[in-house]
Amino acid sequence: MVVLMRLLLTFVAAWGLLQAQNDAERKPDRVISISAERFTFNPSKVTVKQGELVEFVLTSEDTDHGFRVPGAGIDVAIPPLGRGEARVRFIAREKGKFVFECSRPCGAGHNLMRGTIEVK
Amino acid sequence: MPVKRWALVLFMVTLGLLTVHAQNPPDLEKRLADLERKMKQLDPAFVPAPELTLIQRLDALEARLDQALTARTAVAAQAAPATPPPSAFAPTQAGPALQPVSVSGDFQKAADSETRLPVAGYMDFHVNKLSGDSFRPDFHRFVLLFGHSFSDRIKFWSELEVEHSLVEGGEESGEVALEQAYLDFLITPKFNLRAGMLLTPVGIINERHEPPAFNGVERPFVESIIIPTTWRELGFGFTGDLGRGFRYRTYLTSALDASRFNAEFGIAEGKSSGFDASMRNPATVVRLEYAGVRRLALGASLYSGLAGYNTPGINPRVTIASFDGRYSYRRLDLRGLFANTWVSAAGALNQRLRQQTGVNPNVASQMRGYYIEPALHVLPRRFRHDVIAFARFERYNTQQAMPAGYLPLQQFNRSSWVTGLTYKPVPDIAVKFDYVFNRSQSRVVNSLNGVNLGIGWWF
Repeated sequence: MVVLMRLLLTFVAAWGLLQAQNDAERKPDRVISISAERFTFNPSKVTVKQGELVEFVLTSEDTDHGFRVPGAGIDVAIPPLGRGEARVRFIAREKGKFVFECSRPCGAGHNLMRGTIEVK
Repeated sequence: MPVKRWALVLFMVTLGLLTVHAQNPPDLEKRLADLERKMKQLDPAFVPAPELTLIQRLDALEARLDQALTARTAVAAQAAPATPPPSAFAPTQAGPALQPVSVSGDFQKAADSETRLPVAGYMDFHVNKLSGDSFRPDFHRFVLLFGHSFSDRIKFWSELEVEHSLVEGGEESGEVALEQAYLDFLITPKFNLRAGMLLTPVGIINERHEPPAFNGVERPFVESIIIPTTWRELGFGFTGDLGRGFRYRTYLTSALDASRFNAEFGIAEGKSSGFDASMRNPATVVRLEYAGVRRLALGASLYSGLAGYNTPGINPRVTIASFDGRYSYRRLDLRGLFANTWVSAAGALNQRLRQQTGVNPNVASQMRGYYIEPALHVLPRRFRHDVIAFARFERYNTQQAMPAGYLPLQQFNRSSWVTGLTYKPVPDIAVKFDYVFNRSQSRVVNSLNGVNLGIGWWF
């Protein structure tokens, strides 16, 4: 019985890992490029569909910025101009509007460097 | 109790079914082998050992899974550091509704990435030389910026500056200045509140004055003389993103002080900078920006306010209209600005100031300036270093139109060519050199040319 219980638990854990690996490896349903520049994201409003696997390709036009979605556990550094990009993948599970913001102090307008993800 | 009993019965039945289903040893072995194969897909370092007993193989599989889960948790924690707890303003917070899957990109590969400090800041070191004068080094600006998020909806931002490196009481030297200190109350993307010491949103440079953000050692003349710099006032107002690339800021702020207006610098020395300011007749300023097309930014500002709180009986109205734009196409940058200032009752103001000080300040009823600056990134994009060659033409006249009975002083009808190079070893450090050709319409006063060297950085 113990063997069977452990086998069952192991199987469930492995299945979960494989599923997460699949989400990370499969082609995203939508790829959206967002450029950051003191003190705006362009575009600052992004619309996606519920259930989509979305990938944001984040670049900067000047200094390094941050990309944070409060409460979603997404907070990455966007490298400065000419130093590459950051890619964030997420699944839009529920409909609604979600704010994203710069998480790296970048100057006088830093607090207002924000945008919206609308999940329809 | 009945619920618990039923749950127990259901659990036992499920377990029994699973047990019956899985008690065939060859099937068990096959499923274990399958699991081992999948584990090897996930972690190539895992080596199955079919010679061991079922229990030993399960133990090995379990240990490997624990390792993988631990590593995965550590990577997730690194990618998403310290997220503050959700605030009470739930509607715009993303919970599990947005489920992060992966984070990748160049920032993870950079071996020479910067060390992050809990403050931001910028510094500006200049060496200036006018024709016939000696080289004058000056640690012009040492600025530290502090911010704090009280919650995802209430944020603080500040900028504290030491100018010219030395401050001594009662002597002509530098200054310590609070350039910004305000709270943002973020309500909706379209409508937010801001209050405190605010940068007046007029022109390009006043709100974007970090040294790597502009070419030339010194800020443009038009954005120092026709538009004051660094122009900050006490006040409050509203900000927001209207969508489709449009943003706005509108404030009620403390007024300019007309008693400090003059012919050479126009209204620039009338900024209160938050000291001994007056809110009896607050000024209104509104700025609308468009950034809906990548690498294009357009802005328009309108300022209007009474400025006579230190000139009893005379209360001139100052109105400023400015338009600016920035555009980048491949390796070419282009930026330009136009600003016009109107001062009402300028004649009466001149008379009153002459009575107060004994000197006619010759304040104009209109001041005007514009500049245009093309800049070329000399090195191809693949180079990590950046060299920018630029030329800026500026026209600025603080005596554009005079009140009746006053003649314009032509030495203040000026133009300048500023040409130079900006070298950026990294995007946040700018080593600058420029030569400035100054001209005026005066046949009497000779304008001096100048050469400037500087290094500025942002962190």
